[in-house]
Amino acid sequence: MENKQPLSPHIQIYRWHISSLVSISHRITGIINIIAITLICLWASCLLLGEANYQLINLFLSSLVGKFFILAITWSFSFQVLSEIRHLIMDLGYGYELNTTKISGLLVIFGSVILTIFFYLVGDTFL
Amino acid sequence: MINATKKWIFLKISGAILIPLMIWFILNLISIYDEDYLNVINFFQNPLSKMLFGIFIINAYFFSALSISEVFEDYVTNDKIKSVANKLLYASAVVIPLITIILISRL
Repeated sequence: MENKQPLSPHIQIYRWHISSLVSISHRITGIINIIAITLICLWASCLLLGEANYQLINLFLSSLVGKFFILAITWSFSFQVLSEIRHLIMDLGYGYELNTTKISGLLVIFGSVILTIFFYLVGDTFL
Repeated sequence: MINATKKWIFLKISGAILIPLMIWFILNLISIYDEDYLNVINFFQNPLSKMLFGIFIINAYFFSALSISEVFEDYVTNDKIKSVANKLLYASAVVIPLITIILISRL
């Protein structure tokens, strides 16, 4: 039977707003995060192979590319955390006014950068 | 309660649980990713870390499977492709965390 259910209109027909940018970024970072978590599962599982095999992964993670990779994951996680909090607040019925959606969207975008720096400093220095 | 409502509620609950777990994990990942083998092993051998990491990956895959199936619902027209994609998605959301937890428990 043919599916009569309408699809979401393609995103390119809309004029870009902060909310649409946050919405599509939420989906993209969600997919990036699950790929990153899969790689992390693989990394953790590789520990079973022993110290000699782990050196190869350690060499990559200690390199500049490895550090950039961790920083990118940190930003992606930070974005998802703030965007999820925004979604949950909106689900409770708050923040639907046009100006509020713009402000909360900007808070997610700029907040994710600040949170990335904060997480990196706390994780690297205090733990 | 219809299935779509149940799915939405599960999505919201898993999303809320995921927030503190993501913060806990990313802080610990930053502290251990460039450490030597023994320090990383120590982290995964710690019972609390092991338990929280297990809950984190189960919840993350559950949340992602529900979220990504929404993306399929929005943008995939062909019902057969959508059905196969959803089955692969849900299977991987069970298999990957399960294998990882079994392997980590052996550390």
